Amino acid sequence: MDHPIQTDFIRWIVFLPLLGAIVNGLLGAKIQKSWGKGAIGVIACAPVVVAFILSVNALLTLKGLEPEKRFLIDNLYPWIHLGSLKVDMAFMVDPLSAVMILVVTGIGGLIHIYATGYMHDDKAFWRFFAYLNLFTAAMLTLVLGDSLMLLFVGWEGVGLCSYALIGFWYQDHANARAGNKAFIVNRVGDFGFVLGMFLLFWSLDAQGHGSLTIREMIKWAPSIKDSLIWGWPVVTVATLFLFIGATGKSAQIPLFVWLPDAMAGPTPVSALIHAATMVTAGVYMTARMNVFFSMAPDTLNVIAIIGVATALLAATIALTQNDIKKILAYSTVSQLGYMFIGVGVGGYAAAIFHLMTHAFFKACLFLGAGSVIHAMHHEQDMRKMGGLKNYLPITFWTFAISVLAIAGTPFTAGFFSKDEILWLAFTSDHGSPYLWSLGVAGAGMTAFYMFRQFFMVFFGECRADHHTQEHLHESPKSMTLPLVVLAIGAAVAGYIGLPGVLGGSQFAHWLEPVIYAHEGGHASHALEWGLMAVSVTVAAFGFIVSYLMYYRGILSPEPFAKLAGGFFYRLFDRKWYFDEIYQVIFVNGILLLARIGSLFDQYVIDGIVDGSASLTRFASWLNGLFDDYIIDGLVNAVANVTFWAGNKLRRLQTGNINGYLFVILIAMVFAIYVKVHYWS
Amino acid sequence: MDNVLTYMTFIPLAGAVVVLMLPNNAKLIRWFSAAVTVPPLAMAVWLFSHFDRAQAGFQFVEPYEWIPAYNIKYIMGIDGLSISMVLLTALLSFICIFASFGIDKAVKGYFSLFLMLDAGMMGVFCALDFFLFYVFWEMMLLPMYFLIGIWGGPRREYAAIKFFLYTLFGSVLMLLAILALYFALDPHTFDMRILIAESGRYSTKVLTIWPFNLWGWSFQHVIWMALFIGFAIKIPAFPFHTWLPDAHVEAPTAISVILAGVLLKMGTYGILRINFPMLPVATADLAYWFLGALGAWNIIYGAFCAMAQKDLKKLVAYSSVSHMGYVMLGMASFTTQGLNGAVLQMFNHGTITGMMFLLVGVVYDRAHHREINGFGGLAAIMPVYTGATALAFFASMGLPGLSGFISEILVLLGTWQKYPVLTILGASGVILTAGYLLWTIQRVYLGPPNEKYLKMPDINGREIFTLVPLGVIVIILGIYPGVVLDLLRASLDQINAIVIPHLHS
Amino acid sequence: MDLKNVASLTFFLPEIILSAAILLLIVLDLLAQNKRSLALVAVAACVGALIATFDLYSAQPGWLFHRMIVLDNFSLFFKVFALAATILCIWMSLGSNEIKTVHQGEYYTLLLTCALGMFFMASSSNLLMAYLSLELVSLTSYILTGFLPHNRRSSEAALKYLIYGGVASGTMIYGMSWIFGMTGSLDYAAIQTALGQNVYNKVALFIAFVFILAGFGYKIVFVPFHMWSPDVYQGAPTPFTAFLSVASNAAGMAIMIRFFYPGVSRVLPGGDWASLTGVEWPQVLLFLSMVTMTVGNFCALNQRNVKRMLAYSGIAHAGYMMMGLAILNNEGLQAVLFYIVVYLIMNLGAFLVVGMVANVTGDEDIENYRGLAWRGAIVPAVCLAVFLFSLTGLPPFAGFIGKFFLFSAVIRQGGAFAVLAVVAALNSVVSLYYYAKIIKTMFLDQPNPEAKTISIAVYDFSLMIPLTVLTLVLGIYFAPLAQYTSQSLRFFVK
Repeated sequence: MDHPIQTDFIRWIVFLPLLGAIVNGLLGAKIQKSWGKGAIGVIACAPVVVAFILSVNALLTLKGLEPEKRFLIDNLYPWIHLGSLKVDMAFMVDPLSAVMILVVTGIGGLIHIYATGYMHDDKAFWRFFAYLNLFTAAMLTLVLGDSLMLLFVGWEGVGLCSYALIGFWYQDHANARAGNKAFIVNRVGDFGFVLGMFLLFWSLDAQGHGSLTIREMIKWAPSIKDSLIWGWPVVTVATLFLFIGATGKSAQIPLFVWLPDAMAGPTPVSALIHAATMVTAGVYMTARMNVFFSMAPDTLNVIAIIGVATALLAATIALTQNDIKKILAYSTVSQLGYMFIGVGVGGYAAAIFHLMTHAFFKACLFLGAGSVIHAMHHEQDMRKMGGLKNYLPITFWTFAISVLAIAGTPFTAGFFSKDEILWLAFTSDHGSPYLWSLGVAGAGMTAFYMFRQFFMVFFGECRADHHTQEHLHESPKSMTLPLVVLAIGAAVAGYIGLPGVLGGSQFAHWLEPVIYAHEGGHASHALEWGLMAVSVTVAAFGFIVSYLMYYRGILSPEPFAKLAGGFFYRLFDRKWYFDEIYQVIFVNGILLLARIGSLFDQYVIDGIVDGSASLTRFASWLNGLFDDYIIDGLVNAVANVTFWAGNKLRRLQTGNINGYLFVILIAMVFAIYVKVHYWS
Repeated sequence: MDNVLTYMTFIPLAGAVVVLMLPNNAKLIRWFSAAVTVPPLAMAVWLFSHFDRAQAGFQFVEPYEWIPAYNIKYIMGIDGLSISMVLLTALLSFICIFASFGIDKAVKGYFSLFLMLDAGMMGVFCALDFFLFYVFWEMMLLPMYFLIGIWGGPRREYAAIKFFLYTLFGSVLMLLAILALYFALDPHTFDMRILIAESGRYSTKVLTIWPFNLWGWSFQHVIWMALFIGFAIKIPAFPFHTWLPDAHVEAPTAISVILAGVLLKMGTYGILRINFPMLPVATADLAYWFLGALGAWNIIYGAFCAMAQKDLKKLVAYSSVSHMGYVMLGMASFTTQGLNGAVLQMFNHGTITGMMFLLVGVVYDRAHHREINGFGGLAAIMPVYTGATALAFFASMGLPGLSGFISEILVLLGTWQKYPVLTILGASGVILTAGYLLWTIQRVYLGPPNEKYLKMPDINGREIFTLVPLGVIVIILGIYPGVVLDLLRASLDQINAIVIPHLHS
Repeated sequence: MDLKNVASLTFFLPEIILSAAILLLIVLDLLAQNKRSLALVAVAACVGALIATFDLYSAQPGWLFHRMIVLDNFSLFFKVFALAATILCIWMSLGSNEIKTVHQGEYYTLLLTCALGMFFMASSSNLLMAYLSLELVSLTSYILTGFLPHNRRSSEAALKYLIYGGVASGTMIYGMSWIFGMTGSLDYAAIQTALGQNVYNKVALFIAFVFILAGFGYKIVFVPFHMWSPDVYQGAPTPFTAFLSVASNAAGMAIMIRFFYPGVSRVLPGGDWASLTGVEWPQVLLFLSMVTMTVGNFCALNQRNVKRMLAYSGIAHAGYMMMGLAILNNEGLQAVLFYIVVYLIMNLGAFLVVGMVANVTGDEDIENYRGLAWRGAIVPAVCLAVFLFSLTGLPPFAGFIGKFFLFSAVIRQGGAFAVLAVVAALNSVVSLYYYAKIIKTMFLDQPNPEAKTISIAVYDFSLMIPLTVLTLVLGIYFAPLAQYTSQSLRFFVK
C-alpha cells in the first residue's frame, strides 16, 4: 500500500469516454449531418467498450497480486499543492473501484448500445451521446479518483450531466424544472460533502497528517479518534456531513425528492444514471470511507435508520403509482435504502454487492420499460397497457427475470444480495431484529408492487387504443441484446456472493483489502436458514396478493385503498406530501428572502446613500434660504428699529447689504463672548 | 527588457493621445486602439514566462527619482500578487477593445478614454510608490466617469456621478491615511517596500480622544480603517456596494467587463498589498472575524439580491458582489489555502464575470432589452451562444473542472480552519448561486422558443473572438490551476507570514 | 538693513515703474486712437516691473522708508504673483466683449493701481502701511467692479462692495488702534518685542485681533466676511472677477501672514512657529477655515450661475488655504503659497472659459453649457473640465498637488488636526458634486436643438491652452515651484 504499483493505462478508462464526449460535443452536429447517426453511435460506444476492456485488464492485474498489494495508481500531475494540501490528478484502482468501473463501463456500455436504438429518431442524437459519454467519464472519475477532491469532481460532474440529461428535451419547461430540482437538491448534498471533507482534512492536519488522498486519510484515520469539534467527536460530525452528501446523490430521506422527477429524462438515462451508477455513488463513497464510518457508531445508526425509513417510504409510494417508470424510480429509492441499511450495520461489502446486482436487474427493468414505452409510442401509464407479452416476447422474458430478481426469489441475484443485507441487519453489532423485520416488510411490498407492474403491463387484455395496438412491435436488436445480457446478469450475478451457509461470499473476500468491516454476527446456521425462509415467505405473500389482485382479479384493491377513509392511499399517492412541504418551506422561503433582500438593498442601503446626498443638497438649499430670507428678515428688523436709516437704505434697493454687515457684527460679538466666557 | 512595466503602462497612455490626433475615421480609430493594446499583452506574456516563481519579493523593479525634495519616487515593480492582476488587466483591455467595436457615438473620445483607463489600471497594479499609486488610482476615475456617463444607458448620469462621488469619498480617506503613513516613518517615504519592511514601527499605542478611547484602537487601527473603507468601496463590500449595480447596468458592455474584471479587484488588491503587510497588528485585530464575516455576508446577501433581479445584467452585477465575498472570506482566513484561493478567485472572477457581461451584451445588442422573463427558449435559436453561456454560468457556480471551482473550494477549505461557521455560510452561498443561475438559464434559454426572437442571429465571429480566450482560460485553470497558483504562492505566503505572528486566537 | 527714504528708492524700482506707467496711461488715454495699444503699454509696464522685481532677489533684504515696507523673498514672491495675475488679467480683458464697451484707458490704469496696492500689501511691515495699502487695493476694486456702464447689476455690486469694504476696513483700523494703544507702536518688529513681554490683557488683545480679522477676512473672503463676494463676482466684468478672485485673495493672504507670523509670533528652530500673544488666534482661524470651506461648498451646490458658483468655490478654497495658515508651521505656509499659485492658474483658467462662453451666449447661466462639448466647443469644454477637476483636487492636475501639500502639512501636525484634515477631505468630495455638475452639463447632456453652436476665436486659445498645459504639468512635475515657494518663505525680521 505504501508503494502502490504505478500504471499508465488507468487514465484512459476516464479519458476515452471524455474524448468521445468532446468529439461529439464539438463536432457532433457536423458529423451527424455528414456521416449520419451511425457514426455518432460508434464514436460514443467505442470508447466505453474499450474502457470496459481496460477495466477487465485492471481487474485481472489486481487478481494477479496478493490481496494486500492489490492497488494500482496512475498519477498524472500535481493538481493543487498548497501548504499541507497536496492533491494530485491521480486515478487509482483497488478491489472496490475495480468492481465499480466494471459496473459503470460494462452496464454503461450496454446502455449506450441500447440508446443508439432508443434515441434513433431524435434530432439531437449527437448531443445526447455527448452528455452520456461525459457522464460516463465523470462517473469513472468519481470511482477512480485517488483523492476526495477528485472524487468530488466526479461527484459534481455526474450531477451536472444528470441535470443536462434530465432536461434533455429542454423545450418542455417541466423537464427543465426537473433538471434544476435534481441539480439543486444534489448541491445541498454536495454542500454537506465538502464540509465533511474540510473537517477531515483539518482534523488530520492538526495531527500533522493533513491530506485529502484517500489512502493517506485512511492510513491516519486512527489519529483523529479522540479529536472533538463543538463537543462532538470529529469522525461523527464529519461522517454525518459526508452522509448528507450521500443522501443527495443516492436519493435518501430527506433529499430523495429529485429522483422521481428525474424520470423526465430519456429512459436510457434513467437506467444508467438513476438506477445503475450515479445514484449508487453515495453507497460507494461510504464504502470508500468505511474506516471513518466504522469509527462513528452514532453515524452508522443514523444511516441505518434513514436507510430503512427510505426503503419503506419509497415502497409505500410505489404501491400506488401507475406510471411505469415512476414505480421503478421509487423502487430504486427503496433498494438504495436497503444498501444503506447494509452500510448502517457495517456491511459495506454487502451494500456494494447489492449495488452490483441491483445495477443488473434495475437497469434491465428500466430498459425493458423503455422498450415497452418505445413500443407504446411514449405511453407511460400502465392502465393503458396490458397483454404485451405476446407483442414483446424478449422484453417480456427479460423483464420477468429481473422482476423475480428484485422480488428476492431464491437463487436470483437479488435474493442473495438482499438476503445478505437482511442477515447482517439482524446479526451485526449495529443491527437489531426491528431493523430486520422492517427490512423484510419492505421486501414484501417490493414483491407486491413489482409483480403488480409486471401483471398490469404484460398480462390481461391490451387496454391501449387501436392505433397503438396495430403498431406494437418488438424493439430492434440494439435494444433487445442489452436486455438479454442484463437479464442473464440479473439471474446469475449473485453466485459470486453466496451466503455463509452456502459456502460464504467470494465477493466480500475480494473486497477485504479495502473494507476492514467487522461483519460480526456468526450466529448458528439454523438462524440463517430461518431468517432466509421468513423473508422468502413474506416476499411470496406479496407476490400472491398482487397475483390475486392483478392477474386473477378475484381480490379487489378497492377496500385496501379505502382503508382509513383512503387516508393512506392519498398519503402514498401524494408521496407523503414531501414536494408540497419543500415547496412551501424552502423554495418559497428562499424566494421570499431574496425579494426582501433586494428591496432592503434598494430602499434601505441605497436609500441611505441617496439620502445622504440629498441631505447635503438640502443643507445647501437651507444655506441659500439663509442668504435670501433670514438676512432679509434681519434687514427688515433692523430697518424697523432705525426707521429713517432703514428708509434710506431701502431706497438703495439692496437691502441685503446691511444684513451682511449685521452678520459680521453678530459673529464678532459671538467670538468675543465665547472668548470672555469660555476661554479665559 | 528593462522598464517593461513602464512600457505596459504608458504605451496605452501614448496611444490615447495619438488617438485624439487621428482623423475622424471610426474604423481606423478602432483598429489603431486594438493595436495599441497588443504590446502590453505581449509584454504580459513575456512577464509570465520570465517571472521567477520561487522569489517572494518584488521583481522587474524600476526605481527612479521623481520629486526628491519630498522623497517621492517613481517605482514600478510586481510580485506574485500583482502579476496575476497585470496579466488579467492586459488581457481584458485587449478583449474589451474588440468588445467596444459596436460603439459609434464619439468613437475617438471613447477609445482615447478607454486607453487612459487601461493605463491607469496597469499603473495601480505596478506602482510601488504610494504617491504614484494614488495618482494612478484617481487617474482611473476620470475616464471611467465619462465612459459610463457618455456612452452608458438611460440612467447613466446618475450612475456615473454616484460611482465618482462614492469612489472619491473612499480615496480621500485613503489619501489622508497615506500621508499619515508617510509622516509615521523617519525619513518620510512613500516607498511601499520600505513601508512594508518597517511595518513594525507604526504605533500601536491606544489612542484616546477624550473621553473615549475608541474601542482600544491605535494609530494602526485608525489608518487601517481609513484605507479599508477606501478599498471596501471598490470591492464592493456591504454596505458600500450600491454603486455597483447602477454602474454595471448603465455602463456599456466593455466597461462593465472592465469594472467587474479589474476595478473590483483593486479593492482586494489594495487590502492585500497595503493593509496586510503594512499594518499587520491592526489586520490581525480587525480582519480576523470582521473581514471574514463581511465576506460571508457579502456572499449570501449578494446571492439573495441576485436571485430577485429581473434584469439580466443586474443579476450578473449582484453575482459579482457575491463572488467578491469569497475573496474577502479567503483573505480573512490567514491560511495559505485561503489566501491563494482568494487571489485566484480574484483572477477567475475577472475572467468568468467578464465572460458573463460579454454574453449579456451579446443578447442585449440583438434584443435591446435584458428582461430575464422577456426571452425563453434561446437554446433552440442560438445554440452556440447558449453553450458559451452555460460554460460561463457553470464556471461561476463553481463547477469542478472549471476555474471557479478551484478558487472557491480553496477559499472555503482555507477558511474552515479558522471559522467553520463562516465556512458553512459561505458554502451555502454555493447552493444559492446554483439556484439563481440555473433558474436564469431555465427562464432565458430553455423552454419553448420565443416567437419574437426566432429570427435572432447566433453569436458572430467578433463576439466569439472575445469569448474564446476567456473560455479557454476558465477551462485550463480548472484542470491545471498551477498556471496561476505557482505565480502567487511565494509572495502570498510571505504576506501571510507578516500577519500571522500577530493573530491572537 | 534699515534705509532712509532716498536710499530706499533704489530698491523701489518695480513700484516706480508701475507708478510711472499709471501716469503715462492716463496721458496716453487722451491721445491714443487705438485703445488696445494701452493694454500693450500696461503689459509692457508689468513686464518691466517683473524684470525689476527679479533683479531685487540679488539685493540684501531689509527695511525701506523708515521701516514702512520690508524687502524680502516673501514680499518679492507676492509682487511677482501680483504682476503675473495682472498680465493675465489684461490678456483676458483683450478678449472680453464686456471690456470693449468701457473706457479702457482708465480700466488699465486702475488695474495697475490695484497691482501697486498689492505690492504694498505684500511688503508693508507697519500697521498703518498695511491699512493704507489695503485701502488702495479696495478703492480701485470698488471702481473696477462697477466699471460696466448702464449695467445695473455691476453698479449694485460695486455699491455693496463699497459699503461692506468700508465697514470691514473701518473695523480693522479700529482694531489696529487697540494694538497701538497697548503696544505703543505700529511697527511689526516693535509690536513683536512688546508682545514678547506678554503683559497685556488677553481679552483686549483678542478683541483687537478679531477686529483686525474683519479687514483681512473680507479681502481673503472667509466666513463670516464672505457675503459680498457672490454678488460682486457676478456683477463685476469677468476678467476683473478672475483677477479679484485670485490676486486680492493672495494679497490678503500676504498681509495676513505678514501680520500673524513675523508680526505676532516667533519662529522656533525647525520651521515651527510659536504665538507670542496668549491669544488663541490659531484656534479661531482653524475654526473659521472649517466653517469657511463647508459654507462655501454647500452654498455652491445649488447655484445655477457659474460665476456665482465659482464665487462660492472661491470661498471654499480660501477655507482650504486658511488651514495652512492656522497650523503654525512653515510647511503650512509654504503649502499656502503653493496653493495660491496653483489656484491662480486653474481659477483664472476657469474664469477664462466662462468668459468665452459668456461672450457668445451673453450670460453665465448653466443652461448655456448644456452639451457644450457637442456644440463645436470640445476644446474649451475639455479645458474647463481640466480646470474644474483640478479645483476639485484630483490627480494628475495641479490642484491635487496643492491640496496634497495642505493636507500633508495638517496631517504632519497630527493629533486633533486630523479632524481638520478629514473635514477638508470630505469637503473636497462635496465640491466634486458641483464641479462635476458643470462637466456633466457640458459632456453628458445632449444640447438643446435650438442652442447655437459655440465658436471660440483662435485668439482665446493663446491663453487657455497654456494654462491647461500648466495645470497638467504642475500636477506631474512640481518640484521647481515647490522649491521656489519654500525659498519665498524668508521673512526679514530684524
